[in-house]
Amino acid sequence: MSKQTLSFLNLSLVTGRTIIQGTLVEDKLTKSYLEHVSTLKLNPADMKKLGLKNGDKVELKGPGGSVIVKVRAAADVSEGVAFIPMGPWAEAVVNPETDSTGMPGFKSIPVTITKSDKPLTTLEEIYGEKEPILNLGQTFEREAKGEIRRITDVVCPFCGSLCDNLVVEVQGNKILKVMNVCSLGLSKFMKSHENRVPYPMIKENGRFVKVPLEKAIDKAAEILVNAKYPVLFGWSSTSLETARLGLELAELVGGIYDHCSTFCHGPTALGFHEVGMPKSSLGQIKNWADVIVYWGSNVSEAHPMHPQRYSYFSVGRHRKGRKDRKLIVVDVRPVPHARHADMFIKVKPGKDYELLVALRLLVQGKELEVPEVAGVPREKVVELAETLMAAKFGVMFVGVGMTMSGAKEKNFEELFLLLHDLNRISKWVVIPMRGHYNVTGADMATIWTTGYPYAVEFSRRYPRYQPGITSTADVFLREEADALLSIASDPLAHFPRKVAEAMKKVPIIAIDPKWNLTVAFSKVVIPSAMAGIECSGTAYRMDEVPLRLKKIVDPPPGILPDEEILRLLINRVKEKLGVKP
Amino acid sequence: MAEILIKNGYVIDPLNGIHGEVMDIGVKNGKIVPPDQVDTRYAKIIDASGCLVVPGGIDVHTHVAGPKVNAGRLLMPQDHYKIGRVIRAIPGIRRSGTGKSVPSVTNIGYKYARMGWTTVMEAASPPLYTRHTHHELDDTPIVDKGVNLLLDSNWFILEYIENKDQVRVNAFVSWILRATKSYAVKLVDPGSAEAWSRGVATQPLNIDDVIPGTSLTPKDILTALANAVRDLGLPHPIHVHANMLGLPGNYVTTMKTVETVANIANKRGLSIHLAHLQFNAYKGDSYATMLSAAEELAKLINNLSGVTFDMGQVVFGGTVTMTADAPWEFYLYHIAKWKWVAKDVEAETAAGIVPYKFRRHVYTNVIQWGIGLELALLVKDASKVVVSTDHPNAGPFTRYPQIIAWLMSKKAREEEMSRLNKKAVKRLSLPAIDREYTFEEFVLSTRVAPAKIIGLEKIKGHLGVGADADIAIYGIDPRTFDPSREYERLVKAIKYAKYTIKDGEIVVKDGKIVKTVYGRTFYVEPPSEPKLESEVLSDVKEKFKEWYSVTLNNYVILNEELRKVEPIRTY
Repeated sequence: MSKQTLSFLNLSLVTGRTIIQGTLVEDKLTKSYLEHVSTLKLNPADMKKLGLKNGDKVELKGPGGSVIVKVRAAADVSEGVAFIPMGPWAEAVVNPETDSTGMPGFKSIPVTITKSDKPLTTLEEIYGEKEPILNLGQTFEREAKGEIRRITDVVCPFCGSLCDNLVVEVQGNKILKVMNVCSLGLSKFMKSHENRVPYPMIKENGRFVKVPLEKAIDKAAEILVNAKYPVLFGWSSTSLETARLGLELAELVGGIYDHCSTFCHGPTALGFHEVGMPKSSLGQIKNWADVIVYWGSNVSEAHPMHPQRYSYFSVGRHRKGRKDRKLIVVDVRPVPHARHADMFIKVKPGKDYELLVALRLLVQGKELEVPEVAGVPREKVVELAETLMAAKFGVMFVGVGMTMSGAKEKNFEELFLLLHDLNRISKWVVIPMRGHYNVTGADMATIWTTGYPYAVEFSRRYPRYQPGITSTADVFLREEADALLSIASDPLAHFPRKVAEAMKKVPIIAIDPKWNLTVAFSKVVIPSAMAGIECSGTAYRMDEVPLRLKKIVDPPPGILPDEEILRLLINRVKEKLGVKP
Repeated sequence: MAEILIKNGYVIDPLNGIHGEVMDIGVKNGKIVPPDQVDTRYAKIIDASGCLVVPGGIDVHTHVAGPKVNAGRLLMPQDHYKIGRVIRAIPGIRRSGTGKSVPSVTNIGYKYARMGWTTVMEAASPPLYTRHTHHELDDTPIVDKGVNLLLDSNWFILEYIENKDQVRVNAFVSWILRATKSYAVKLVDPGSAEAWSRGVATQPLNIDDVIPGTSLTPKDILTALANAVRDLGLPHPIHVHANMLGLPGNYVTTMKTVETVANIANKRGLSIHLAHLQFNAYKGDSYATMLSAAEELAKLINNLSGVTFDMGQVVFGGTVTMTADAPWEFYLYHIAKWKWVAKDVEAETAAGIVPYKFRRHVYTNVIQWGIGLELALLVKDASKVVVSTDHPNAGPFTRYPQIIAWLMSKKAREEEMSRLNKKAVKRLSLPAIDREYTFEEFVLSTRVAPAKIIGLEKIKGHLGVGADADIAIYGIDPRTFDPSREYERLVKAIKYAKYTIKDGEIVVKDGKIVKTVYGRTFYVEPPSEPKLESEVLSDVKEKFKEWYSVTLNNYVILNEELRKVEPIRTY
């Protein structure tokens, strides 16, 4: 008996990090990366409904556009949900509009999947390019010389966990081994010499020309000085010292200073503005927490060491390991770590807000009258509330599952109020799962220098802030920016396509160690050293603990740290503006 | 650097026995020199005739840098955007800034400098996050700075005190001050952070209560840390935010706190600095009937030579409270019913932030306002008093000129009191106090006292040869100016100094920033015994693995991480 297959299916799309995407994120123009981020994962039952098998093609259509991608069945995707890794294909489909929050719609996006036999959408098609996108990244061989040295207490420059107990074995300038590290960090260290921007370049007539650093700096300064409303973006994967200098530069050129928070944990900050929040350093969790909740966080793929260093597998003074703790996972799909959980709550995509309100009702001692909230049966909601209330020391680790979907920043207002209520009968803290290793540092520096966390503009010579107006996505959607400085970031690969299209229309200055999509479309490219591997600096962990990044090996010859490049750029800009240094 | 000659100013410099004299001050290479050493051919000559010339002001307790200050900024975007609170950038001269109660670091440095203040001490920094505190201090323009380090609930210190091991307490304190580049030992509601970890502490911790999870009382912590300060020769006495802060009847605890350590004096004869004493000077058993205990506390302080305090003076209006006293802030959140931030720091301390408004018609707020002034006016020796608002807790530091006017003018006080809750004013002693601070007492309570408390009176707080050239010139002449009557002019004159000089550079002219420089971070280097320190550190390193989420090596802050450090050896 054959079942009638459907001709199309409406699903809720989630885009995000995977381990593979994370290990390849710095090699965006490689075949492995492109294949991985153009593969759509579907629940096996949904595959069956459409009569699909692994490797088949579908048209994925969303608010931002449509692409032809391959499909694959996956157990960690719920029925009704689809998953595609963050990257150009995801960005071609997601919702570019931010609803005045600065945050585009990256998750819980309504999409339609239809079986297709059209050719797969190429990277060039996504960016409207007729010619293949240039990849001029080069591998630079690190020289192994002399004795083998062990460097301990190394801080990993990948994710917001900022593990600081790495041990790196080097010989001369070659990294031999890295220990106490996850695959994301390992990839960063071991492939740090690959795909490098080889030298400063300026694009003339569609071709990149090698130029001396001074000329690139001069051209970059000229672009910034001549622009009426430049956007200076990135700052999250480089040192605090660089982020600080960036603020000085943005102020000088009267532009916008924005960083990854704008499309990551910005909504968390917006919720914080309204009601504040109870927070904690990570060691406190290790020492005390008996109830641990991961909400909207794919910790195993985005922060792999987190559970053993800081949470449910960690051993602290008063809590020893897994047996002393309860683990609750709340997500739209059974993310990998859900298999360790005592309780897995599957919430309907975009409906976290409703669940938070229901929990608040129960914590306040009121009745929950409906049979189901956000796809969760009432009994389970009650059980969850009771578990939260019975905690001696509870922690919520909250990821971008909550910032990027549904009520966005309103989720956080409600979450923080829930925790305020819980704190009357129990003790609760929340720690946002910051993605990049120094996005917190960029945040901190922006706050202490301007009072505001991100999306700060200086066109009137003093800081002004209004997410939705001064945020990068919105400024480009309205086509108000006339230049882009991208540092330690790849905005063209990770902003929605419509935003990337607008970015392509303005002169771009890219400062990056590695060749990436933004670099490929830039006017001026300046290679930089990798903080935490080739130069030192400070980074702030997700719980705001600042740690010192080490210099392990030398950068390729002639390549400077971001900090120095920024200083050169600031001086050149000051010269052009006639400012005393 | 240009030399400067300040001519014909009316100088008040009590530490050098100058109580009001017209004289010249010479500045060369960032220091004060005899005027005849200045080469007048090339020097900048400032005509200070008719002006008051005094050392730069020193704030001994202010929350200006670090994680909770930054959280306060994030909490209050509404504090930043108003036009009057903004400083616009002038490239090459000054950076931009925002904010009033929780200003950006730029507003902080510039606004202190505009008032003639040149040194600030960050009130409380958690060791794990002190690197952050230093980042902010480094970005704070003009002023010199130092850090008060939170140590009262530190797990290592608690363990050594439980073992009655003062030698190891000392060794650990010595190490951690150096490792975090800090200046002084700070206690905040000692032991309360330990209670806070165990559940949002419902009962406040009094001085004789047992700290949960230990067999210690706050008294034990006070004694052990006061001993450490004395034994290590630290210049600054223990800096204490006493238990029971904010609660009616708490003055009894404050007196017991003083009595606990009154006999443990450091090498300058100081045994304790009481932070924002106003918040710990309450009599009565409820907010509705609370009274001032200023008389009792003033009596105690008048009779003891080693006790100093800063006022914590309330100014009416909206502000943000922030302190390491997390339980108190949780309680205040329920009174203020608006926003709340709390922070736990592993193995060390905690914090809370709650925006609050002091209102003229609210009985309790008026009593609080009266207490700060009563304390300053009833304590006879103004060199035991430091003007402060515990910025931003009782108000922003930009209101110091107003506070000075209240101290120097009974009329100014009466004018304020006429707008306040009448029942409260009746219950204060303040209306009956006639005393008005003299100009010299203004200098004592904003320059001399704090310089002595931080133990830097060799180079700060005076205008003698060898002092740092941190100088304030105000556009009023004490010989002809009557602050008692012209208190409004006084406020303006102090708010916008005619000149502020920092390390020999003119940074403020006519109340405007004319140059941006960056000051030094002072920290102490107490003695250490290598073998003992090595034993203590291997014990610490072992426990760090379980208690902390960072390695011991990464916990230590290196000199090269700070812009400009100045170590102060204490032996």
